[in-house]
Amino acid sequence: MSELVIETHDLRKEFRTRRGRHVVAVDGLDLAVPRGGVHGFLGPNGSGKTTTIRMLLGLASATTGQMRLFGEPVPHRLPSVANRIGAVVEQPKFLPSFIARRNLSLLAGSIGASRSEVDRALEQVGLAGRDRDRFKTFSLGMKQRLAIAATLLKRPDLLILDEPSNGLDPAGIREIRELIRDLAETGVTVLLSSHILAEVQQVCDSVSIIGNGRLLASGTVHELVGREGIAGVRVGVQDLEAARRHLAAAGLTVTRNEHELYVEGVSDPARITRILAGHDLYVRELTPDRKDLESVFLDLTRDDSLPSRGATEPEAQS
Amino acid sequence: MRLLGVELTRFRSRRAIVLTLLATVALAAVLIGTTLYETRAVSEADLARAEQLAAQEADARYTTRELERCEEAPEQYFGPGATTEDCQGILPQAEWFLDRSALSLAAELEETGTALVFLLLGVATIVGTTFAGADWASGSIGNQLLFEPRRAKVWLAKAAAVVLGVAVFAALLLAAFWGALAAGAAMRDITTPDAVVTDILQTSGRGVALASLAALGAYALTMLFRNTVGTLGLLLGYAVAGEALAATLPFTKMSQWALSSNIQAWLSDGAELYDDSLCEEQALEGGECIPTYILSFEHAATYLGILVAITLLTSLIAFRRRDVP
Repeated sequence: MSELVIETHDLRKEFRTRRGRHVVAVDGLDLAVPRGGVHGFLGPNGSGKTTTIRMLLGLASATTGQMRLFGEPVPHRLPSVANRIGAVVEQPKFLPSFIARRNLSLLAGSIGASRSEVDRALEQVGLAGRDRDRFKTFSLGMKQRLAIAATLLKRPDLLILDEPSNGLDPAGIREIRELIRDLAETGVTVLLSSHILAEVQQVCDSVSIIGNGRLLASGTVHELVGREGIAGVRVGVQDLEAARRHLAAAGLTVTRNEHELYVEGVSDPARITRILAGHDLYVRELTPDRKDLESVFLDLTRDDSLPSRGATEPEAQS
Repeated sequence: MRLLGVELTRFRSRRAIVLTLLATVALAAVLIGTTLYETRAVSEADLARAEQLAAQEADARYTTRELERCEEAPEQYFGPGATTEDCQGILPQAEWFLDRSALSLAAELEETGTALVFLLLGVATIVGTTFAGADWASGSIGNQLLFEPRRAKVWLAKAAAVVLGVAVFAALLLAAFWGALAAGAAMRDITTPDAVVTDILQTSGRGVALASLAALGAYALTMLFRNTVGTLGLLLGYAVAGEALAATLPFTKMSQWALSSNIQAWLSDGAELYDDSLCEEQALEGGECIPTYILSFEHAATYLGILVAITLLTSLIAFRRRDVP
């Protein structure tokens, strides 16, 4: 059995807009998502995340390339693995005039899930008391929860969530984060596409970053953040001006503020202590300012933030 | 079967569909009430008044003069072989002065019965369209495909639900309509010939089949265009502009390709259609000509069948291949 739950190889999606413009949404994407844990799927708007997810789920066809879910080639063998995959793609989409329970029951009926499964899913996302309300009366956050409840009907092995925190208040975001972690702990693999990078860093074990439809970086969060090293070092010392002078003379970029120095261009903080100690200046405080996922993401996608080839997330390629 | 059950639940849970069907039931009830009221039994007083009016009219000078003329040359009035006794037929009859006739299921089959079937066709079209349109408008079709990715299966289950739902509704409504009129006739001691009953059953059967076909076609078109308003607009545009345009083309019997003509021929087991162009050549030669022709049931069935088959096939292929938002 494959250790990868999602694999794409040289995946490409091209389409024409209604105005006849040729767009490459995904451009030779190689993606590998290992079994277990939470995998972040990051990229700027229009980078091809949603299109990739839609292709994996059979909602859109690939122009070229291969895709596998649980080792099975998709879309050809998608029906054999569909019941193992729960997904929320973009906005939650249900019939607005139906009550929440009815919307879930219809989906449950199509896979033979019981009424108790519907109850369990509603309970799990905290909508048990609102199950008789019409979908159109729900807030965006409640709609998101209902969409997640729908994915849970299948008791999935793979959960694909496209911006699940959209529209949620801080408490809601926290609940979803805990839900995702809980599911991951039960062995569910979660592919999480999100723009909230602090959120991703907190919840994800590994990430793939794409830009302009191509894979830019992939690995564990620790690897990616660690690979990029230290952004700067905050230095506390008695004589700030003397310290600034000596560090600058050593070729480092130093910024002074009222209480500390900020030193850039140093990969090893020990070098600062050595320079200053050599001039009888002793460090009182030394704090490496490590890059977070957001700065790594922004560095990697700096050139991709505005789609250079007109790539956009296709809303409806009809 | 599981998916069909789900789609049937979706069908009967849609408020727009339920309201449309309830409105149709209300209209049918009004039709039944109006028909029974307008054919209510004639009272003794009504009859006496009508007989008095008929007698007054018979005594009028112009009537007696007309009677005399008829008796002088009855064949001019009633054709070859007519006798002076036939001329009594031109005398005013009491029923001419009654403002209503007795309930006749045969007459109702031609009038209100046909009107009800046409109403059903419109309703079936709306139901088929809105059933599919709601899935596209809300985007829930994508969600459904995440649970059942076999698109042909989804398409077929929805189509079967539309056909079943509309067929059952149409059958029940027509049964209730004719049942109510038959009960009204029985209460008034009016007997209906077996041939008329057979006609009613056959016409109703064809009506149910056509309503189901209309719903199926409307569903398939909406799955193709992914838009309720767009589909209804297209159908309306075709019904108005398309048929008007076809009628202006310089070919004979163009009406045989009109949707309305074929629907009429399907319902009535053939229809007699009027076409001016049929007589243009004979008129030039000075011959007599009747500008009508018969559009057969078989022609209508083939025409409508091909039209629906093309729509279904195109819709199914497009649904299987196109990306779903």
